[in-house]
Amino acid sequence: MGIQEQYRSEAAALLSSGEVKLVIGFGAGSTADRRRPLFARTPDEAQKFVLDAACIANLSTYLVTEGLLSDGKKVAVFLKPDGIRSINILISEAQLKPEQVVILGYAIENGKEITPLEGRNISDFSIGEQIRSLTPPPHILQEAERIEEMSATERFEFWKEHFAKCIKCYACRQVCPMCYCRRCIVDVNQPQWVSTSSHTLGNFEWNLVRAFHLAGRCAACGACDRACPVNIPLRLVNYRMGKEVIDAFDYCAGENSNQKPVLASFKQDDPETFIL
Amino acid sequence: MSEPFEPKIVAFVCTYCTYAGADLAGTSRLKYAPNVRIVRLPCTGRISPMFILKALQKGADSVLVSGCHPGDCHFTAGNYHARRRWTVFRALLAFTGIPEERIRFSWVSAAEGAKFAEMINEITDETRKLGPFTQYQELQKVIETQSSY
Repeated sequence: MGIQEQYRSEAAALLSSGEVKLVIGFGAGSTADRRRPLFARTPDEAQKFVLDAACIANLSTYLVTEGLLSDGKKVAVFLKPDGIRSINILISEAQLKPEQVVILGYAIENGKEITPLEGRNISDFSIGEQIRSLTPPPHILQEAERIEEMSATERFEFWKEHFAKCIKCYACRQVCPMCYCRRCIVDVNQPQWVSTSSHTLGNFEWNLVRAFHLAGRCAACGACDRACPVNIPLRLVNYRMGKEVIDAFDYCAGENSNQKPVLASFKQDDPETFIL
Repeated sequence: MSEPFEPKIVAFVCTYCTYAGADLAGTSRLKYAPNVRIVRLPCTGRISPMFILKALQKGADSVLVSGCHPGDCHFTAGNYHARRRWTVFRALLAFTGIPEERIRFSWVSAAEGAKFAEMINEITDETRKLGPFTQYQELQKVIETQSSY
Protein backbone atom coordinates (compact mmCIF):
# COMPACT_ATOMS: atom_id res chain seq x y z
CA MET A 1 0.00 0.00 0.00
CA GLY A 2 1.39 3.36 -1.00
CA ILE A 3 1.62 6.21 1.46
CA GLN A 4 -1.24 8.01 -0.28
CA GLU A 5 -3.63 5.09 0.29
CA GLN A 6 -2.34 4.63 3.82
CA TYR A 7 -3.04 8.25 4.70
CA ARG A 8 -6.41 8.18 2.93
CA SER A 9 -7.57 5.25 5.03
CA GLU A 10 -6.14 6.80 8.14
CA ALA A 11 -8.04 10.03 7.48
CA ALA A 12 -11.19 8.03 6.79
CA ALA A 13 -10.73 6.10 10.06
CA LEU A 14 -10.29 9.31 12.04
CA LEU A 15 -13.48 10.70 10.52
CA SER A 16 -15.62 7.56 10.85
CA SER A 17 -14.60 7.03 14.49
CA GLY A 18 -15.60 10.63 15.15
CA GLU A 19 -12.20 11.42 16.63
CA VAL A 20 -11.86 14.44 14.37
CA LYS A 21 -14.51 16.61 12.79
CA LEU A 22 -12.43 17.62 9.82
CA VAL A 23 -9.34 16.53 7.94
CA ILE A 24 -7.41 19.16 6.03
CA GLY A 25 -5.32 17.73 3.23
CA PHE A 26 -4.62 18.04 -0.45
CA GLY A 27 -6.83 17.32 -3.42
CA ALA A 28 -6.21 17.45 -7.14
CA GLY A 29 -5.51 20.93 -8.45
CA SER A 30 -6.32 22.77 -11.65
CA THR A 31 -3.26 21.38 -13.43
CA ALA A 32 -1.33 18.14 -13.09
CA ASP A 33 1.43 19.68 -10.97
CA ARG A 34 -0.78 21.67 -8.62
CA ARG A 35 -2.63 20.62 -5.50
CA ARG A 36 -5.38 22.45 -3.74
CA PRO A 37 -6.47 22.16 -0.13
CA LEU A 38 -9.22 19.63 0.45
CA PHE A 39 -11.42 19.69 3.53
CA ALA A 40 -12.91 16.29 4.27
CA ARG A 41 -15.77 15.94 6.73
CA THR A 42 -16.89 12.42 5.79
CA PRO A 43 -14.92 9.18 5.24
CA ASP A 44 -16.00 9.24 1.57
CA GLU A 45 -14.48 12.63 1.00
CA ALA A 46 -11.24 11.37 2.53
CA GLN A 47 -10.84 9.06 -0.48
CA LYS A 48 -10.13 12.13 -2.62
CA PHE A 49 -6.94 13.01 -0.75
CA VAL A 50 -3.79 13.21 -2.78
CA LEU A 51 -0.32 12.98 -1.29
CA ASP A 52 2.70 13.41 -3.51
CA ALA A 53 5.71 15.67 -4.00
CA ALA A 54 3.49 18.52 -5.25
CA CYS A 55 1.90 18.86 -1.80
CA ILE A 56 4.15 21.65 -0.64
CA ALA A 57 1.67 24.12 0.88
CA ASN A 58 1.67 24.71 4.61
CA LEU A 59 -1.87 23.76 5.61
CA SER A 60 -1.46 24.83 9.24
CA THR A 61 -2.67 28.24 8.10
CA TYR A 62 -6.26 26.93 8.00
CA LEU A 63 -6.17 25.97 11.67
CA VAL A 64 -6.23 29.59 12.77
CA THR A 65 -9.45 30.25 10.84
CA GLU A 66 -11.71 32.13 13.20
CA GLY A 67 -14.13 29.82 15.01
CA LEU A 68 -12.80 26.57 13.56
CA LEU A 69 -11.57 25.14 16.85
CA SER A 70 -13.84 27.03 19.22
CA ASP A 71 -16.16 24.00 19.63
CA GLY A 72 -13.31 22.06 21.28
CA LYS A 73 -13.38 19.30 18.63
CA LYS A 74 -10.30 17.99 16.95
CA VAL A 75 -9.04 18.64 13.45
CA ALA A 76 -6.52 16.52 11.58
CA VAL A 77 -4.12 18.12 9.14
CA PHE A 78 -1.50 16.96 6.65
CA LEU A 79 1.80 18.61 7.56
CA LYS A 80 5.41 18.65 6.46
CA PRO A 81 8.11 19.43 9.06
CA ASP A 82 7.74 23.18 8.39
CA GLY A 83 4.04 22.85 9.09
CA ILE A 84 4.79 21.05 12.35
CA ARG A 85 7.11 23.91 13.19
CA SER A 86 4.25 26.37 12.55
CA ILE A 87 2.07 24.37 14.94
CA ASN A 88 4.76 24.64 17.61
CA ILE A 89 4.85 28.40 17.17
CA LEU A 90 1.07 28.73 17.21
CA ILE A 91 0.85 26.67 20.40
CA SER A 92 3.57 28.73 22.07
CA GLU A 93 1.59 31.85 21.16
CA ALA A 94 -1.57 30.33 22.66
CA GLN A 95 -3.39 30.22 19.33
CA LEU A 96 -3.93 26.47 19.35
CA LYS A 97 -4.48 23.82 21.95
CA PRO A 98 -2.12 20.91 21.33
CA GLU A 99 -4.82 18.34 22.05
CA GLN A 100 -7.03 19.71 19.29
CA VAL A 101 -4.61 19.05 16.47
CA VAL A 102 -4.01 15.61 14.97
CA ILE A 103 -1.01 15.61 12.68
CA LEU A 104 -0.70 13.46 9.60
CA GLY A 105 3.00 14.11 9.07
CA TYR A 106 4.98 13.49 5.92
CA ALA A 107 8.27 14.62 4.51
CA ILE A 108 9.31 15.17 0.92
CA GLU A 109 12.82 13.85 0.33
CA ASN A 110 14.89 15.22 -2.55
CA GLY A 111 11.82 16.87 -3.97
CA LYS A 112 10.13 13.61 -4.99
CA GLU A 113 10.10 10.82 -2.38
CA ILE A 114 7.29 10.96 0.16
CA THR A 115 8.02 9.44 3.55
CA PRO A 116 5.60 9.22 6.47
CA LEU A 117 6.48 10.83 9.80
CA GLU A 118 5.81 8.86 12.96
CA GLY A 119 3.41 10.30 15.49
CA ARG A 120 0.01 11.97 15.60
CA ASN A 121 0.31 14.43 18.42
CA ILE A 122 2.54 17.49 18.37
CA SER A 123 4.49 16.10 21.34
CA ASP A 124 5.44 13.04 19.25
CA PHE A 125 7.56 15.13 16.94
CA SER A 126 10.92 16.40 18.07
CA ILE A 127 12.03 18.69 15.30
CA GLY A 128 14.16 21.01 17.46
CA GLU A 129 17.62 19.92 16.36
CA GLN A 130 16.51 19.45 12.81
CA ILE A 131 15.23 22.99 12.35
CA ARG A 132 18.10 24.71 14.07
CA SER A 133 20.50 23.22 11.59
CA LEU A 134 18.10 24.00 8.75
CA THR A 135 19.53 26.20 6.05
CA PRO A 136 17.40 27.91 3.44
CA PRO A 137 17.63 26.86 -0.21
CA PRO A 138 21.06 27.78 -1.67
CA HIS A 139 19.71 30.52 -3.92
CA ILE A 140 18.24 32.34 -0.91
CA LEU A 141 21.45 31.99 1.05
CA GLN A 142 23.51 33.32 -1.84
CA GLU A 143 21.16 36.23 -2.41
CA ALA A 144 21.19 37.11 1.30
CA GLU A 145 24.99 37.10 1.30
CA ARG A 146 25.05 39.26 -1.81
CA ILE A 147 22.78 41.82 -0.14
CA GLU A 148 24.86 41.85 3.04
CA GLU A 149 27.87 42.86 0.96
CA MET A 150 26.07 45.79 -0.68
CA SER A 151 26.23 49.35 0.58
CA ALA A 152 23.15 50.73 2.33
CA THR A 153 22.20 52.76 -0.75
CA GLU A 154 22.43 49.71 -3.01
CA ARG A 155 20.36 47.71 -0.56
CA PHE A 156 17.72 50.40 -0.50
CA GLU A 157 17.62 50.44 -4.30
CA PHE A 158 17.40 46.65 -4.40
CA TRP A 159 14.35 46.59 -2.14
CA LYS A 160 12.84 49.69 -3.70
CA GLU A 161 12.87 47.93 -7.03
CA HIS A 162 11.21 44.86 -5.54
CA PHE A 163 8.71 46.67 -3.35
CA ALA A 164 7.74 48.99 -6.22
CA LYS A 165 6.15 45.91 -7.83
CA CYS A 166 3.98 45.13 -4.81
CA ILE A 167 0.27 45.49 -5.54
CA LYS A 168 -0.76 45.22 -1.90
CA CYS A 169 -2.89 42.16 -2.52
CA TYR A 170 -1.87 40.89 0.95
CA ALA A 171 -1.62 37.34 -0.37
CA CYS A 172 1.54 36.98 1.74
CA ARG A 173 -0.50 37.78 4.81
CA GLN A 174 -3.47 35.60 3.93
CA VAL A 175 -1.36 32.54 3.29
CA CYS A 176 0.82 32.89 6.38
CA PRO A 177 -0.10 30.74 9.39
CA MET A 178 1.46 33.37 11.67
CA CYS A 179 -0.67 36.24 10.34
CA TYR A 180 -3.72 35.50 12.41
CA CYS A 181 -4.47 38.96 13.83
CA ARG A 182 -8.18 39.64 13.59
CA ARG A 183 -7.37 43.18 12.64
CA CYS A 184 -4.11 43.56 10.82
CA ILE A 185 -2.20 46.80 11.32
CA VAL A 186 -2.61 47.70 7.64
CA ASP A 187 -6.39 47.53 8.03
CA VAL A 188 -6.31 50.00 10.88
CA ASN A 189 -7.20 53.42 9.55
CA GLN A 190 -7.39 55.52 12.69
CA PRO A 191 -4.52 56.18 12.86
CA GLN A 192 -3.45 55.05 9.42
CA TRP A 193 -0.07 53.52 10.16
CA VAL A 194 0.60 52.16 6.72
CA SER A 195 -0.28 54.00 3.51
CA THR A 196 -2.72 51.67 1.82
CA SER A 197 -2.36 52.58 -1.84
CA SER A 198 0.27 50.59 -3.64
CA HIS A 199 2.89 53.25 -4.18
CA THR A 200 6.46 52.49 -3.23
CA LEU A 201 6.42 54.19 0.17
CA GLY A 202 3.30 52.35 1.30
CA ASN A 203 4.76 49.13 -0.06
CA PHE A 204 7.96 49.74 1.85
CA GLU A 205 6.06 50.26 5.06
CA TRP A 206 3.86 47.24 4.57
CA ASN A 207 6.73 44.93 3.77
CA LEU A 208 8.83 46.21 6.66
CA VAL A 209 5.97 45.74 9.08
CA ARG A 210 5.19 42.29 7.76
CA ALA A 211 8.82 41.23 8.10
CA PHE A 212 9.10 42.72 11.57
CA HIS A 213 5.97 41.00 12.79
CA LEU A 214 7.37 37.69 11.59
CA ALA A 215 10.74 38.14 13.24
CA GLY A 216 11.37 35.16 15.48
CA ARG A 217 8.07 33.59 14.43
CA CYS A 218 8.60 32.53 10.84
CA ALA A 219 8.53 28.79 10.19
CA ALA A 220 10.37 29.28 6.88
CA CYS A 221 7.74 27.38 4.92
CA GLY A 222 8.04 29.83 2.04
CA ALA A 223 4.29 30.15 1.54
CA CYS A 224 4.48 33.96 1.27
CA ASP A 225 7.12 33.70 -1.38
CA ARG A 226 5.06 31.28 -3.44
CA ALA A 227 1.91 33.31 -3.00
CA CYS A 228 3.42 36.60 -4.13
CA PRO A 229 2.06 37.36 -7.62
CA VAL A 230 4.92 39.75 -8.40
CA ASN A 231 7.74 37.60 -7.03
CA ILE A 232 9.08 39.77 -4.24
CA PRO A 233 11.77 37.69 -2.47
CA LEU A 234 9.94 37.64 0.87
CA ARG A 235 11.80 34.56 2.10
CA LEU A 236 14.99 36.53 1.92
CA VAL A 237 13.95 39.09 4.48
CA ASN A 238 12.25 36.44 6.64
CA TYR A 239 15.44 34.42 6.63
CA ARG A 240 17.49 37.45 7.65
CA MET A 241 15.13 38.16 10.57
CA GLY A 242 15.29 34.54 11.73
CA LYS A 243 19.06 34.63 11.58
CA GLU A 244 19.17 37.81 13.65
CA VAL A 245 17.05 36.21 16.35
CA ILE A 246 19.28 33.12 16.46
CA ASP A 247 22.48 35.19 16.54
CA ALA A 248 21.34 37.78 19.07
CA PHE A 249 19.11 35.76 21.40
CA ASP A 250 19.98 32.13 20.60
CA TYR A 251 16.30 31.59 19.79
CA CYS A 252 14.96 29.45 17.01
CA ALA A 253 11.23 29.72 16.38
CA GLY A 254 9.18 26.53 16.57
CA GLU A 255 11.77 24.24 18.12
CA ASN A 256 9.18 23.10 20.60
CA SER A 257 5.75 24.17 21.72
CA ASN A 258 6.65 25.45 25.18
CA GLN A 259 9.18 28.13 24.32
CA LYS A 260 8.19 31.72 25.07
CA PRO A 261 7.83 33.97 22.01
CA VAL A 262 11.15 35.75 21.53
CA LEU A 263 9.82 39.31 21.49
CA ALA A 264 7.58 38.64 24.47
CA SER A 265 10.46 37.57 26.67
CA PHE A 266 13.91 38.88 27.52
CA LYS A 267 17.12 38.20 29.34
CA GLN A 268 18.79 40.80 31.48
CA ASP A 269 22.02 40.32 29.60
CA ASP A 270 20.64 40.58 26.07
CA PRO A 271 23.14 42.26 23.74
CA GLU A 272 22.91 46.04 23.50
CA THR A 273 26.03 47.12 21.68
CA PHE A 274 24.14 49.67 19.58
CA ILE A 275 22.60 51.58 22.49
CA LEU A 276 24.26 54.87 23.39
CA MET B 1 17.84 80.62 -2.94
CA SER B 2 17.17 77.66 -0.77
CA GLU B 3 17.45 77.89 2.97
CA PRO B 4 20.34 76.08 4.67
CA PHE B 5 19.46 72.56 5.75
CA GLU B 6 18.23 72.22 9.31
CA PRO B 7 17.77 68.60 10.35
CA LYS B 8 14.48 67.50 11.82
CA ILE B 9 14.96 65.02 14.63
CA VAL B 10 12.17 63.16 16.35
CA ALA B 11 12.89 61.78 19.80
CA PHE B 12 10.62 59.13 21.28
CA VAL B 13 11.29 59.15 25.00
CA CYS B 14 9.87 57.51 28.06
CA THR B 15 8.30 59.84 30.58
CA TYR B 16 10.03 58.44 33.67
CA CYS B 17 13.66 58.70 32.63
CA THR B 18 14.60 60.40 29.40
CA TYR B 19 11.79 62.95 29.48
CA ALA B 20 12.79 63.80 33.04
CA GLY B 21 16.40 63.94 31.85
CA ALA B 22 15.43 66.37 29.11
CA ASP B 23 13.55 68.35 31.70
CA LEU B 24 16.64 68.44 33.88
CA ALA B 25 18.66 69.72 30.91
CA GLY B 26 16.11 72.52 30.62
CA THR B 27 15.97 73.42 34.30
CA SER B 28 19.79 73.31 34.47
CA ARG B 29 19.79 75.90 31.63
CA LEU B 30 21.80 73.63 29.37
CA LYS B 31 21.61 74.72 25.76
CA TYR B 32 21.04 72.13 23.09
CA ALA B 33 20.07 72.14 19.43
CA PRO B 34 16.45 73.14 18.86
CA ASN B 35 16.11 70.60 16.03
CA VAL B 36 14.68 67.90 18.20
CA ARG B 37 10.95 67.28 18.61
CA ILE B 38 10.29 65.26 21.70
CA VAL B 39 7.43 62.78 21.80
CA ARG B 40 6.74 61.65 25.34
CA LEU B 41 5.47 58.13 25.91
CA PRO B 42 4.72 56.13 29.05
CA CYS B 43 7.55 53.63 28.52
CA THR B 44 10.01 52.50 25.86
CA GLY B 45 7.99 49.32 25.77
CA ARG B 46 5.19 51.44 24.29
CA ILE B 47 7.34 52.55 21.37
CA SER B 48 6.22 50.61 18.37
CA PRO B 49 8.55 50.42 15.37
CA MET B 50 5.62 51.93 13.49
CA PHE B 51 6.36 55.22 15.26
CA ILE B 52 9.83 55.27 13.78
CA LEU B 53 8.59 54.46 10.29
CA LYS B 54 5.89 57.10 10.57
CA ALA B 55 8.37 59.73 11.69
CA LEU B 56 10.59 58.98 8.70
CA GLN B 57 7.59 59.00 6.40
CA LYS B 58 6.54 62.41 7.69
CA GLY B 59 9.93 63.94 7.00
CA ALA B 60 12.21 63.25 9.97
CA ASP B 61 15.90 63.16 9.09
CA SER B 62 16.87 61.26 12.24
CA VAL B 63 15.03 59.45 14.97
CA LEU B 64 16.12 59.00 18.56
CA VAL B 65 14.57 56.43 20.84
CA SER B 66 15.48 56.71 24.47
CA GLY B 67 14.41 55.34 27.82
CA CYS B 68 15.47 54.15 31.24
CA HIS B 69 18.68 52.25 31.83
CA PRO B 70 18.22 48.49 32.16
CA GLY B 71 16.91 47.73 35.61
CA ASP B 72 15.44 51.20 36.09
CA CYS B 73 12.16 50.77 34.22
CA HIS B 74 9.14 52.13 36.08
CA PHE B 75 7.22 49.11 34.82
CA THR B 76 10.09 46.73 35.74
CA ALA B 77 10.72 45.26 32.29
CA GLY B 78 9.43 47.57 29.54
CA ASN B 79 12.90 48.58 28.43
CA TYR B 80 14.13 44.98 28.29
CA HIS B 81 11.32 44.14 25.89
CA ALA B 82 12.03 47.29 23.90
CA ARG B 83 15.69 46.37 23.66
CA ARG B 84 14.91 43.04 22.01
CA ARG B 85 12.52 44.71 19.64
CA TRP B 86 15.09 47.33 18.65
CA THR B 87 17.76 44.73 18.02
CA VAL B 88 15.53 42.99 15.52
CA PHE B 89 14.18 46.20 14.04
CA ARG B 90 17.65 47.59 13.53
CA ALA B 91 18.68 44.45 11.67
CA LEU B 92 15.62 44.81 9.47
CA LEU B 93 16.39 48.44 8.69
CA ALA B 94 19.98 47.57 7.90
CA PHE B 95 18.93 44.73 5.61
CA THR B 96 16.51 46.93 3.69
CA GLY B 97 19.05 49.73 3.34
CA ILE B 98 17.57 52.36 5.63
CA PRO B 99 20.71 54.00 7.06
CA GLU B 100 21.28 52.82 10.62
CA GLU B 101 23.02 56.06 11.57
CA ARG B 102 19.70 57.88 11.26
CA ILE B 103 18.00 55.80 13.92
CA ARG B 104 19.56 55.85 17.34
CA PHE B 105 18.81 54.24 20.62
CA SER B 106 19.98 55.32 24.02
CA TRP B 107 19.43 55.05 27.74
CA VAL B 108 19.17 58.40 29.51
CA SER B 109 18.20 58.51 33.16
CA ALA B 110 16.40 61.36 34.94
CA ALA B 111 19.74 62.49 36.33
CA GLU B 112 21.49 62.66 32.99
CA GLY B 113 20.42 66.07 31.71
CA ALA B 114 23.92 66.76 30.49
CA LYS B 115 24.09 63.48 28.61
CA PHE B 116 20.78 64.29 26.93
CA ALA B 117 21.88 67.77 25.84
CA GLU B 118 25.20 66.47 24.59
CA MET B 119 23.58 63.63 22.70
CA ILE B 120 21.06 65.88 20.96
CA ASN B 121 23.86 68.21 19.87
CA GLU B 122 25.86 65.29 18.56
CA ILE B 123 22.93 63.78 16.66
CA THR B 124 22.06 67.17 15.17
CA ASP B 125 25.63 67.71 13.98
CA GLU B 126 25.87 64.27 12.49
CA THR B 127 22.51 64.52 10.77
CA ARG B 128 23.53 67.87 9.37
CA LYS B 129 26.57 66.17 7.86
CA LEU B 130 24.45 63.31 6.48
CA GLY B 131 22.04 65.77 4.89
CA PRO B 132 18.28 65.39 4.50
CA PHE B 133 16.93 61.84 4.31
CA THR B 134 15.96 62.25 0.69
CA GLN B 135 15.81 58.52 -0.12
CA TYR B 136 12.68 58.15 1.91
CA GLN B 137 11.28 61.64 1.52
CA GLU B 138 11.28 61.32 -2.26
CA LEU B 139 9.00 58.33 -2.00
CA GLN B 140 6.62 60.51 -0.02
CA LYS B 141 6.76 63.24 -2.69
CA VAL B 142 5.67 60.74 -5.31
CA ILE B 143 2.44 60.19 -3.41
CA GLU B 144 1.80 63.87 -3.02
CA THR B 145 2.18 64.58 -6.72
CA GLN B 146 0.02 61.58 -7.59
CA SER B 147 -2.79 62.60 -5.29
CA SER B 148 -2.77 66.19 -6.50
CA TYR B 149 -4.45 65.35 -9.79
